[in-house]
Amino acid sequence: MTAEALAGAVRSGERTAVGTVEQAFARIDQVDASVGAFLEVWRDQAVERAADIDRRRDSGESLGPLAGVPTALKDNLSLAGHELNCGSRILSGYRAPYTAGAVERLLAADAVPVGRVNMDEFAMGSSCENSRLADTRNPWDLDMAPGGSSGGSAAAVAATEAPLALGSDTGGSIRQPAAFCGVVGVKPTYGRVSRYGLVAFASSLDQIGPLTRNVRDAALALGAIAGPDPRDSTCSELPVEDYLESIEDGIEGLTVGTIREVRASALDEDAAEGYRQALDALETAGARLAEVSIPLIDAAVATYYVLANSEASANLARFDGSRYGHRSASARSLQRMYTDSRSEGFGSEVKRRIILGTFALSSGYYDAYYGRAARIAGAMRQQFAEAFEAVDLLVTPTCPSGAFARGERVDDPLAMYLSDVFTTPPSLVGIPGVSVPCGLDGRGLPLGLQILAPPFADAMALRAARAVELTIGFECNPEAIR
Amino acid sequence: MSLDVEEVRRIAELARLRLSAAEEARFASQLSEIVDYIDQLSAFSAGAAPSDDSEPEGTDDANDVPAEGRPLLDDFLDNAPASLDRFLLVPQVKATPGGAE
Repeated sequence: MTAEALAGAVRSGERTAVGTVEQAFARIDQVDASVGAFLEVWRDQAVERAADIDRRRDSGESLGPLAGVPTALKDNLSLAGHELNCGSRILSGYRAPYTAGAVERLLAADAVPVGRVNMDEFAMGSSCENSRLADTRNPWDLDMAPGGSSGGSAAAVAATEAPLALGSDTGGSIRQPAAFCGVVGVKPTYGRVSRYGLVAFASSLDQIGPLTRNVRDAALALGAIAGPDPRDSTCSELPVEDYLESIEDGIEGLTVGTIREVRASALDEDAAEGYRQALDALETAGARLAEVSIPLIDAAVATYYVLANSEASANLARFDGSRYGHRSASARSLQRMYTDSRSEGFGSEVKRRIILGTFALSSGYYDAYYGRAARIAGAMRQQFAEAFEAVDLLVTPTCPSGAFARGERVDDPLAMYLSDVFTTPPSLVGIPGVSVPCGLDGRGLPLGLQILAPPFADAMALRAARAVELTIGFECNPEAIR
Repeated sequence: MSLDVEEVRRIAELARLRLSAAEEARFASQLSEIVDYIDQLSAFSAGAAPSDDSEPEGTDDANDVPAEGRPLLDDFLDNAPASLDRFLLVPQVKATPGGAE
């Protein structure tokens, strides 16, 4: 059942919230030993919260739009009193002292958090293999990576363990795993959703968004979590649209831009064919296709890895063993405590990125790396703005291929980074991006279409994603866990 | 440009990280490849574009006022690896005589 249908049934009394979350836990018990999405389930608290929702309904209170919907939270989103590790050992034992703004809004909408799900350590990765806590597998083929960094969120939704998960996206971390797992993933406009209570990776890029099994659920969830929050100064006060209101309006008459610099040669054969079929679906749904040029898109991955890692090297300086998480037992001086705690607590990819970011910000290199990347991001923003003067929406494949095998890229970080080639540009320019499943590759693994809209036109991106979904008729029914 | 083991060690020290010899060698090779890739940025022109520091529409510089109703000190100290009364405990700033530093 969809999140929308579940919430409707709970609101009408056709089903109970307690029954709904118990069903989710039964499914988690059934498949999560194979999938490995959850790091922790919050059975007692979820049933208690669901019982409260049922009591409120019985007493005639009207319930929120996500009434009783079991929801998985990425392991970097705070829920007061619950452990939060960011997939890292350096946060062992850390309990969130407060609840994230987006999660508060979920709770206000009467969703029920059922547990926290796996991620690449500090959201740094594209396969979930950089988690230091668990192995998460792609429900479509357990030998394949689920994508990352929100791999646990995507796998949990694809495996019907939860109809809704929240993830975070810095350079593709919602959209890429959504594509790999055959679910819908939304990176909202930068500033649309509060990041208060999200553990920061790269503050100029991080956004929280939903992963769901269909576009209507994504619209419902985004409507619930979006909105102003004075505790995040980058969070916009622009009014939140009703994302469901126009979602069935179709795309007849809209101009959808393809990007000249997104070349077929950058895609594997199946992804290229899937992209062609997705473009056909857009035309079938009534959109007019037009080509635009965004030359700086070719600089996006390099720009992203300079900016994101520079910010990460500063953001992750706070993890030093003094205030929370892991403290090295061997430290006899303060300096030694910092170095030992960080060296023991962080995994290889996080260390690699901190070093890269420190390098890009260091004296003598700052202008050549950070300064140049920041200027290119500014120019890229202008190029996107110009493109949106000619077209209503832009599309790209979400990824250059379907899911890759677990272990295939762990020793080749650059190859891993290049899987973000289409997801990093929208992050750098702050625009919304929706990944919607658009078919299967020759191996029977899902492919995603990425739909991009101008800032705060999230509703239009969702509307187009809904049109693609209806035209293609994709079904998320992974064979490996049937 | 390539990063050698010495350079990687120097940057790691700046970042308060200590790497094993095997990590240093591996990182030097991987980071050199990544920095080579990043060096392609010099071929792109940003024209007269400003640095990308734009804020989303609808945001304002918030007044920096203390938040009320957030009694976080206990929660904060509950998360501390070591505390005494209302203070964090950390190792002494100066190393013990005969210590490693």
